[in-house]
Amino acid sequence: MMLHLSYFIAGWIFLWGLYGIVTSKNLVHQVVCLAVLQTSTYVLLLTVGYKVGGTAPVFADIPVGTPVVDPLVQALMLTDIVVEATVAALLLSMVVKSNELANTVDPEELRILTG
Amino acid sequence: MTTLIPLPVAIPLIVAAFLALVGHWAGRRFCDTLSIATAGATVWASATILHGVWLQPVTYWFGNWWPRPNDVVLGICFRIDAIGAVIALLVSVLTTAGLVFSWRIFEETENHFQPLMLIFMAAMCGFSYTGDLFNLFVFFELMSVAAFALCGLKTLEPAPLQGAYNFAIVNTVGGFMIVLGIGLLYARTGALNFAQIGRSLGTHGDALVILSFLLISVGFMGKAAIVPFHFWLADAHAVAPSPVCVLFSGVMVELGVYAVARMYWSMFHSALAMHTDALRNVFMVLGGITCLVGGFMCFANHHLKRLLAFSTISHEGLMLAGMGLLTAKGLAGFVLYALSHGVIKGGLFLCAGIVLHRLERIGEDHLHGRGRHMWPTALLFVLGAWGLAGCWPFGTLLGESMISEDAVAQHQHWVPYMFIFVEAITAGAVMRVFFRVFLGWGERAPTDEASKVEEKPETEEHEHTPVMMLLPAAALILLGISITAVPGVRSAAEVNAERFVDQSGYAQDVLNNAQTATPEPKPEEPLRSSIVRTGIAGVLALGLALGTVFRRRVGRVMEFTRSLELGNSLLRRLHSGHPGDYVAWLSAGTALVGGSLMWLLR
Amino acid sequence: MSSRARTTLFLVAAAGLAVILVLGLIDLPPMGDYRGPYGYVVTQVAVYERHATDVVNAINYDYRAFDTLGEEFILFASVVGVLLLFRPSPNQQGEQEQQKGGDLEDDEESLPVSDALRVSTQVIMGVMIVFGVYIATHGQLTPGGGFQGGVILASTPILIYLAGDVRAFEKITSSPLVKLAECGGAGGYGVIGIIALLAGTHFLTNYLPLGTTGDLFSSGTIAVISVVVGLEVTGGFVQLTQVYLREIVESQLKREE
Repeated sequence: MMLHLSYFIAGWIFLWGLYGIVTSKNLVHQVVCLAVLQTSTYVLLLTVGYKVGGTAPVFADIPVGTPVVDPLVQALMLTDIVVEATVAALLLSMVVKSNELANTVDPEELRILTG
Repeated sequence: MTTLIPLPVAIPLIVAAFLALVGHWAGRRFCDTLSIATAGATVWASATILHGVWLQPVTYWFGNWWPRPNDVVLGICFRIDAIGAVIALLVSVLTTAGLVFSWRIFEETENHFQPLMLIFMAAMCGFSYTGDLFNLFVFFELMSVAAFALCGLKTLEPAPLQGAYNFAIVNTVGGFMIVLGIGLLYARTGALNFAQIGRSLGTHGDALVILSFLLISVGFMGKAAIVPFHFWLADAHAVAPSPVCVLFSGVMVELGVYAVARMYWSMFHSALAMHTDALRNVFMVLGGITCLVGGFMCFANHHLKRLLAFSTISHEGLMLAGMGLLTAKGLAGFVLYALSHGVIKGGLFLCAGIVLHRLERIGEDHLHGRGRHMWPTALLFVLGAWGLAGCWPFGTLLGESMISEDAVAQHQHWVPYMFIFVEAITAGAVMRVFFRVFLGWGERAPTDEASKVEEKPETEEHEHTPVMMLLPAAALILLGISITAVPGVRSAAEVNAERFVDQSGYAQDVLNNAQTATPEPKPEEPLRSSIVRTGIAGVLALGLALGTVFRRRVGRVMEFTRSLELGNSLLRRLHSGHPGDYVAWLSAGTALVGGSLMWLLR
Repeated sequence: MSSRARTTLFLVAAAGLAVILVLGLIDLPPMGDYRGPYGYVVTQVAVYERHATDVVNAINYDYRAFDTLGEEFILFASVVGVLLLFRPSPNQQGEQEQQKGGDLEDDEESLPVSDALRVSTQVIMGVMIVFGVYIATHGQLTPGGGFQGGVILASTPILIYLAGDVRAFEKITSSPLVKLAECGGAGGYGVIGIIALLAGTHFLTNYLPLGTTGDLFSSGTIAVISVVVGLEVTGGFVQLTQVYLREIVESQLKREE
């Protein structure tokens, strides 16, 4: 069980991020909670690729054949980070524009689209 | 033909980068022409690819990274079969229609609209072609980011921003669930290629496999607007510009169901094979609830675009039911239904756009009787309603017949009746709008909260309907009819579906380059019972519409239409516009579906 | 739904999700026991096949280059989207400029910028630019690459703004070179792939000479793609910064006049 601790941490962060989004009273806070939710995917990916005793998968100074951790999950994480940054940028610009027009960032007050 | 394969993705992306560069200085006409030309070229390229893969699917390895010994795949491949190719063709056709419709409108977007549409199209084409799991996710996110930006285009009112924001939050949470699922699958199999994963997962499905299946399906079902992950769709459609709604309802949500199908059949089928019946039941329940919620909310809405959005949700339920039968015939029915529904719904959204352009309003109450002189649009509207009812000669009839026959064969006897319900209530709602808006019959529609959302028209001039708007709408509706005219289309769909569901054949083709023989063509069953069923649905729709419009005159027997039109207040309140609510329902839905899967599939 | 109802619904759902997650995650291999074939195979072959010592970037810009094309366009689409959302509307622009200028004059006084801050910023800026270029161009050799280098380069204008030199910030970020870098980077990646098609192989095949492992000019298109991505990321993030700060910068410049 202890060997799976970091996987459970990823799950915990995921649920916390969801909780933040659901109970948020400020749209900017909600976007940040979305970013927190996404860090759970980083934790999961990195843990999946980890190898005990492995070093960084860069062979500039070590011979090929040295045990290294998995490089693919790092490449996946790079994509993941770019996705998160760009989606957050877009969402935040929506929040800023929305605030300009409706003068509030509280989702409760913004309920224009109902039914 | 192999040289053409990356082009539906690469060329629109490059042109989009070019357009974003010169958009500030180049004229509107130049940007419109270039983008329409690119979309048209993509139609040609995807049609040629479809022709090339009609008999044998093709695998294309990017960077020339062919699979290695022991089934290890390092590169990314496109594995194009006829079903993926025809969906990409649908994508390019709808984008071309949308771009033609938006000729010279949205004057003040500084030409940023066209690059986003091209990027959207490229992402959806890539999504339908890909054979790699992470590539699927990348195109999913690319499609989503372009969609969020396009949805919030009309920044002069707060409602579009709210709609786009709700859309973005729910979809992004779904997207991250997909990444979690991918991580879990990678941990188990060490691979990202569909075929390799399918082979590695083997025949036993433990809790990890079920969890990854759950996470990835929920992410894609969120995109497909299956209840309870559907709340974002109505908000997004109510505020997005009409050509963008065409793409949303026409193909983007269908891609969600397609992705679940692709994922299941290429990776999970043999691992979960012992529990096919239980999984089928889960999909059926989800599909049924989606049909019901979508149908009732559709009739209870009086904002034209929101009404059409809920009808999409309802039809998505039918499509999930078709795919969820987990057979080749059900899948073939889903594909035909998705194609026909896509073009018909696209045509209807363009008609709604024409109404907004001419009459400057979008609520049924304000539009009462004002569409009397717009007879071409009215005609297209009626044809669209007919298509939603699944009546001959629309392609939805073919989809309905295949799905209903297969459902009865799988002992899901409620499916044909659900078809009648969905067809009757959604076509009835559209017919109701036709009678009220274009003929001016009966009394005004009740005003509901949603229809109060004002939408500024997308254009300046509104004296007559421009040809550039009418032409794509008519073309799309005609396409909905022409699907039935293709000889042997049902048999061809079923043959290709047989290949789609053959997991070991897929793996052999991709990993070992060993092509499998084309399955035998199946006989096509007569359409008579489907024509009768959809005929009943059409008559019911007409009756429902007339009864609602002339409620006062007909008397008490039609009182139920009043409550149908006002809608269930609890259901309405749940569609609250609050993103926290939507994510709470997403979590609840995931927990319920996950719980049932864990219980039934272990 | 009321806030309490929403929270209750979520907490019940979260409890269920937690159970499902635990059941599933238990079946994972224990941490540190990476088993899958992909990592092992690629670390054996990447250096020999592509003469690139940084295997992560070899994957990103060669083995799975198509993914990176999509990812780069996600950034591109997002920047275009933000530009679209923040586009000035004709009547709003005049009103808001007057408003914002008025607010700032009442509330804040712009503090004079100390010389120490200015000089040290210029020194750090030089280092940052060189470092960013180094990271972006050495992606195939050491950790780094286009995305990372681009982000470092894109933070340089922010540093200038924070150091108080608003005019220089405005001049740098509105330069058409920024847009050219962004669109050129995005389109350039696609063009590199198309050239491979025209040369007769598959899209995004590495067709440039591979050079000697460890050299700056090695690993073929990996280095080129890394630089192109760096351009796009720099251009994209600088544009984002410019758009977000536009109104504040404009009012500050007006006050200075």
